[in-house]
Amino acid sequence: MTLRTRLLLIFTVVVVATVALVEGLVSRTTRNAFERMENQRVDALVTQFRREFARRGEEIVRAVNSIATSDAATTIALSPDPAAHYNEAPALAVAHGLDLLELVAGDGTIISSAEWPARFGYKEEWLAGWKPRGAFLRREELSDGVTLALAAVGETQAGDHTLYIAGGQRLDREFLSTLVLPTGMRVLLYRNLEAHVSAAELIDAQGQVQQAAEFLPLIEEVRKQPRETAQMLGSGTAAETFHALPLMGNASNLLGILLIGSSRAELVELEAFLRYTGVVLAGGGILVGLVLAWWATARVTRPVQALAVSAGKVAAGEWNTTVEVASGDEVGQLARAFNHMTRELAAQRERLVQAERVAAWRELARRLAHELKNPLFPLQITVENMQRAREQYPQEFDEAFREGTATLIAELGNLKQIIGRFSDFAKMPAPHMQKVNLNELAAETMKLFEAQLAQAQITASTELDAALPRTFADPEQMTRVLRNLVLNAIDAMPGGGKLTIRTRASEGGVRLEVSDTGQGLTPEECERLFTPYYTTKTHGTGLGLAIVQSVISDHHGRISVESQPGKGATFRIELPGEA
Amino acid sequence: MLHMYSRWCAVLSIAAAVTAAGATRPRYGGTLRVEVRAAGEAADPPQTGRGMADLADAFTITRWEAGRIAVYSANDNASGGRPYLDTVEIQMARPLREQAIDLELGKADVVELGVNEPRRTAAGRKTWTSAPVRLMALVFGPRVTDERIREALALAVDRAAIHNVLLQRQGEISGALLPQWISGYAFLFPTGVEMNRARSLVAASPASARAFSFGFEDAGLRQIAERVVLNARDAGLTLAVSASGNSDVKLVEIRIGSDEPWRALGGVAAALGLPEPARGDSPEALLAAERGLLTGFRVIPLFHLPESYGVGARVRGGPGITPLGAWRFGDLWVEGSRP
Repeated sequence: MTLRTRLLLIFTVVVVATVALVEGLVSRTTRNAFERMENQRVDALVTQFRREFARRGEEIVRAVNSIATSDAATTIALSPDPAAHYNEAPALAVAHGLDLLELVAGDGTIISSAEWPARFGYKEEWLAGWKPRGAFLRREELSDGVTLALAAVGETQAGDHTLYIAGGQRLDREFLSTLVLPTGMRVLLYRNLEAHVSAAELIDAQGQVQQAAEFLPLIEEVRKQPRETAQMLGSGTAAETFHALPLMGNASNLLGILLIGSSRAELVELEAFLRYTGVVLAGGGILVGLVLAWWATARVTRPVQALAVSAGKVAAGEWNTTVEVASGDEVGQLARAFNHMTRELAAQRERLVQAERVAAWRELARRLAHELKNPLFPLQITVENMQRAREQYPQEFDEAFREGTATLIAELGNLKQIIGRFSDFAKMPAPHMQKVNLNELAAETMKLFEAQLAQAQITASTELDAALPRTFADPEQMTRVLRNLVLNAIDAMPGGGKLTIRTRASEGGVRLEVSDTGQGLTPEECERLFTPYYTTKTHGTGLGLAIVQSVISDHHGRISVESQPGKGATFRIELPGEA
Repeated sequence: MLHMYSRWCAVLSIAAAVTAAGATRPRYGGTLRVEVRAAGEAADPPQTGRGMADLADAFTITRWEAGRIAVYSANDNASGGRPYLDTVEIQMARPLREQAIDLELGKADVVELGVNEPRRTAAGRKTWTSAPVRLMALVFGPRVTDERIREALALAVDRAAIHNVLLQRQGEISGALLPQWISGYAFLFPTGVEMNRARSLVAASPASARAFSFGFEDAGLRQIAERVVLNARDAGLTLAVSASGNSDVKLVEIRIGSDEPWRALGGVAAALGLPEPARGDSPEALLAAERGLLTGFRVIPLFHLPESYGVGARVRGGPGITPLGAWRFGDLWVEGSRP
């Protein structure tokens, strides 16, 4: 990953993290504010409900007491024939704005019932031992079912006669419609009048609630444990938080559940807006960040990149490479130092080349002197012997001349051979590239040296990769390379050993290894092994491995050696593939 | 013998009720304004039955607008002599409530009274009340096949409460088809509530048989019907009040057309769709015949009620009805007409 990419990434991460942090904080603050506001609204609504509840209760108590203190009630209480008044309750109920009204004798017998006229004569057991109190919730049975009512009981005493006035109003959708609801809130009432939870008993100001089923778990929870409970229902913009308030009856029994719903649509929309804004800000931030990062990194990394490119050139051998010094800051100092370094490197390399050139000439001279000195000395001795025989032993001169000229011809042949080798090294031809199967070349080479290897008591083996791809190479030069390496291995194992040639497909090319179990090489020998005219042997020109390296280099390949003293050596050649 | 005694008592009752009419000199002329619930939608005036058909001898029909109005004019050649009234104008299809208001406002002279009206109006107004000639009963249709259910309902209905409160003690509680004043043995038929037995009968019957529809013929019977529903509910039966005429059980009123026991029983049986009773010549045979009709609880008699009319203050003479409730307007006159 480049420095510029890293800087861009860091810049982007910083921007996104900052936006996410701000977004999270704003969302949390908003949510908290919304929750506070919702709680306030719910509290206000609960207070309003309780106030309305109390007001209605007072109205009912007033109405019931008004009936209880009326002449009509006294007349009914004193009447020797209560049956004559069985039809009084409906009119009284209408006159006093009550939905429910029962006139009950002191023994609990219903004289007249507004809500269920047919119930005259039945007993209202719950009125036995009645103690005056305010309004209360009551489950009221009607001819067509049951209803939840806010009720009150008044009492008329006329002498020994008692008349109870049990009146009330239904707690129904009309009651709910009197509540003033803030926007986004609604009130539902569950009338807990049946043994089991019933969706039909859930009403709002419009009547029976549609899709009441989703409220049933909350209702069931409050029914099991009558206490104030809150639960979120729905999802998305349709989500609502419902606060359930248990409404207890006269006997501390759960008769109703008030459900105050607060829509979360505003919060959801606000959060969505914040998310959207956050995404836009983050996107914009990333975009701006990218531009800024590009600009900043360009300022920072361009000189560094130029330095990197220049360093690469230096590594590739362009010793005179320099970079432009565009600033006086640290990067500028670095550039100046780099330029100074490359100048120094170029100068040192020039000096080294000159020194190496001198050393090479000296080595060449030494080698030439050494190689030529050996045949020259017998030549000189032979000529001197021939001169001596001519002067001192003329009768043996012919014999000496014949032997001398034979020696001279042999040594001159040696000289010619030495000069030919030097000439070969100097005139290495350009390779003729073609598709070559290295496995075949290796096998042929092994076969060529079979007799020589057997004579040297060397066990030869091949480990050739059958899936080895063909490679572009000059088959003659590669054969020469193999022969040189095999000869080297034979020379390294004068007492016999094991020679192995391996081929293997490698990443992007092929690999060829020639291993021996000879005396091995020291690290210093390994370093100098491919230097021309360097040899560890008592005979040879020291040009064999130099030629091998030259051929491999001409094939854009690489040669290396792995060895330790006493553990043999492995020469490894890596050549590029067919493509 | 028994029924003769009862009839005498009823006549006495009517006489007592009309005492307030006063003894002024009869006057000729004037129109008696009568209002009835009956729609009278036939093309011609009725020739049989109670009500308008009773006017046939003393009056002659002079105007007939089916469902609205009928005007009868005095018949100078009537067998009992020309009636005092010139005309009798009858408004038809008038609800009881409207009739009561019209009587109160002086727009009507004679109106019908609902089952619970007489006592309420007795204090300040004349009423004509006949002997108990209307049978109120529950009649089961063919779909209620389980006799236990029918008996349970008969045992559950609290006749006394309905009689005391809704009927304001009008008429008589009865478990018989014929009223006591005709048969003399009506008291032998049980009328009490046996709720425990009713519940056990219901419990023994299949659940599917415990609910059925319940209808009534006249809106004035609604309160009684609702009480019956409540009593049935206590016994474990579910009666759904239905407006359609095709209900499983109906609350009906049957007018008894004769004071002769066998004819009366035959008429009631025919009206209720019961088989014609075998005739006999003794009270025991009559009792056995009536018991036979009530076997199986297809019909549950509840009450025998009188015909009751509210009468305006300007109506004199009378009484305008017979013990069987037939109209006798020939001896009536109205105040303000010519002497």
